[in-house]
Amino acid sequence: MNLDLKEINRCVRCGTCRSVCPVFEESGWESANTRGRILLTRGLARGLKADSEVLDSLNTCTTCGICTDNCPAGVNPPQLIEAARRDLVGQGIVTREQAALSRNIFESGNTFGDPGDRLAWLRDRSLLREKADCVYFVGCMNSYRRSDTAARTFALLSRFGATLLPAEQCCGSPLVRTGFDAHRFVDENLRQIKGTGANTVITGCAGCYTTLKNNYSADLEVLSIPEFLAEHIFELDLEPLDITVTYHDPCHLGRHNKIYEQPRRVIEAVCNLKEMKASGKDARCCGGGGGVRSGYKDLSLRMAKRRLQDVPEGVDYIVTSCPLCIRNLSDAGAGEKAIDLADLVASAIR
Amino acid sequence: MKDILNDLKEIVGCRVSASLAERCCYASDASLVEGLPDFVVRPENTQAVSRLLRFCSEHKIPVVPRGAGTGLAGGASPLQGGIVLDMSGMNRIMEIDIENLQVMVEPGVVQEKLNQALKPYGFFFPPDPGSSAMCTIGGMIAYNSSGMRCVKYGTVRNYVLDLEVVLADGRVIHTGSKVLKSSAGYDLTRLFVGSEGTLGVITRAGLKIQSLPESRKLVLASFEDAETAGQAVIKIFSAGITPSACEILDKTTLQVLKRCDSNLALPNDGDVILFEVDGTKNSTAEAALKIAEICGPLSKSVRVASSQPEMDAIWAARRLVGAAISRLDPARTRIYVGEDVGVPIKQIPALIKRVSQITAKLDLPAMKYGHIGDGNLHVALFIDVMNEDQWERLRLAADRIHRAAMELGGTVSSEHGIGLARAQYMPEQVGEEALQVMRSIKRALDPLGILNPGKLGLEMK
Repeated sequence: MNLDLKEINRCVRCGTCRSVCPVFEESGWESANTRGRILLTRGLARGLKADSEVLDSLNTCTTCGICTDNCPAGVNPPQLIEAARRDLVGQGIVTREQAALSRNIFESGNTFGDPGDRLAWLRDRSLLREKADCVYFVGCMNSYRRSDTAARTFALLSRFGATLLPAEQCCGSPLVRTGFDAHRFVDENLRQIKGTGANTVITGCAGCYTTLKNNYSADLEVLSIPEFLAEHIFELDLEPLDITVTYHDPCHLGRHNKIYEQPRRVIEAVCNLKEMKASGKDARCCGGGGGVRSGYKDLSLRMAKRRLQDVPEGVDYIVTSCPLCIRNLSDAGAGEKAIDLADLVASAIR
Repeated sequence: MKDILNDLKEIVGCRVSASLAERCCYASDASLVEGLPDFVVRPENTQAVSRLLRFCSEHKIPVVPRGAGTGLAGGASPLQGGIVLDMSGMNRIMEIDIENLQVMVEPGVVQEKLNQALKPYGFFFPPDPGSSAMCTIGGMIAYNSSGMRCVKYGTVRNYVLDLEVVLADGRVIHTGSKVLKSSAGYDLTRLFVGSEGTLGVITRAGLKIQSLPESRKLVLASFEDAETAGQAVIKIFSAGITPSACEILDKTTLQVLKRCDSNLALPNDGDVILFEVDGTKNSTAEAALKIAEICGPLSKSVRVASSQPEMDAIWAARRLVGAAISRLDPARTRIYVGEDVGVPIKQIPALIKRVSQITAKLDLPAMKYGHIGDGNLHVALFIDVMNEDQWERLRLAADRIHRAAMELGGTVSSEHGIGLARAQYMPEQVGEEALQVMRSIKRALDPLGILNPGKLGLEMK
């Protein structure tokens, strides 16, 4: 195994992560919490065989990062766990679900293995400018499953001159999270972005955002929808809505990239905001990330159900800025109440 | 093994695991002591624990009870295989009985969660180890843990009124009742507190609770050296003030605390003491002022924390400082050895001096902090764990620190326990005859020696 033993050894096994890990809260077994995963990663470095239980332990981490934020020793467990997954994938050790997800992406360019047109939702193709200053990166989920949100987001961003990539591919996030090499998709998307002449990429998916920001070119300016809208909210002709919403922080926008204040600023410009029981850096994971939804759907939805218990009384919508969070929260019982920030803003435009 | 697994499934259903991955995760607590269990069982109720222990007695299978695995002495590490009994799933607060000033809880309840539940009633369970956010009440009882506020409120031992305990042969007993005092026979409750899972498995606990103080104030005083700091502490106690916490932090600790939270307004040098007082608004204001006056002539600087958020931030950082050392030097890891010595409070400056000499001579960096108000010093030694020579010096340092504490009339463990990590010191610590008495008790309650074997120095010749 080619693992960072120094980083693994920084863990003093104090168990702080055990008290915050959302997966452990559902499972109760030590192998399903961060400390257990680090112990197993250390075991792998010492020759432990990666059997199915070891894979389940490593692969049930949503990489939500609440352990990182709370670790007194300054360990970054999601990085360690993703590195262990990479190492195992490099040895050809993968679960059936991991193999299926990667096959979908490698064969079709999207997480669903959908052979259909990625831009089927775009009615007016003339809006597809060849050259532009900024690109709206739609992402697999909004392209294929939440295309209304994609259309509304693009309608907002077009006002500011954004274009779309002619043949956008999966950003590579699901591959990176689950241990696969995503460079083919990174290179292809980057080539297309450069082709438009844009320096700025805007995305409404937290998974795409963290990947574009941290795994693509350092020259690229990457903005999330909350960041972009917070900057331009007063340029939109908005009629405030007489509703109250709450905001769910997607882990890969919040804890991973510290985007906390911007979505709240946007919401407060549109309607009333009532915080969830745990929010900001303490926000609980929806359970959808890190490959957990595709590999362990029941577990994933149990986490989402628990997250819904944090929703305050008397709110009309649960707003977020990640289609994976929306899917999980919706499927766990929120239904149509879980909406995207762009949907909220679009509904307030005069 | 397969037969045993099937029998265990009969008793606890799917709450047993024999997977290697799971067993690896239960091989140790936060100490260096390791041992692979054959099975992990997560019981849901007393009846299951009772049936399980009867089965283990019949088959002479070792059983090691475990809470959250935050212990620092190897108490939850299975040395002879067998079953690790993860009690953290039994985590219900059974009753909050404010009129009788007590609660009844299952052993897996986390300390902080209990206090969150008690807060709306204006009550709290005072023992507050640094691991409050994750440690379980069962583990706290098994190791008689305490924490920063024990200088005023005492240790767990002072709060346990009644225990439901499953004995090695599966019998279930109660050691007390709801009464706040009792003169009926041997004090079995106190016997089980601190018994480290060697006498029985705690399945329920009746705990005394305290009303929350109206107000808390924090005084930060910086001193030229630990000796002067110690003098100030003695003067404050002599003046009739009992702080609710009295913590000493050396220079290295201060640096680590600032790495944890750069906004903390802590003095930059010297040995700092955090004095907390609690009570009514008037009494805390008066006590804080008096502490500042007493410290004045002895200290380099003294001030009262300006606000509740500032106090909260300082205590939050202090709680986790022990694990945070690698923030100062990422190449080094804190190793928990020699970390829990205690001496009579007057000897604290002498102990600090001895520890400094020991670590300097062995060229080992050390962070020193602890509960100066009750004589408990936490020494944090940190090394590059890839370096064998540093490991050797670390072991030497730990041994010398333990012996220094005993020479000063102290203890090798104030609140973390003996487990295996400090078992070798038991004959010297308690005396051979007293240890024989402990062995007799162990034999009486666990004649087959299945409960947490190899711990507390009970099996040493």
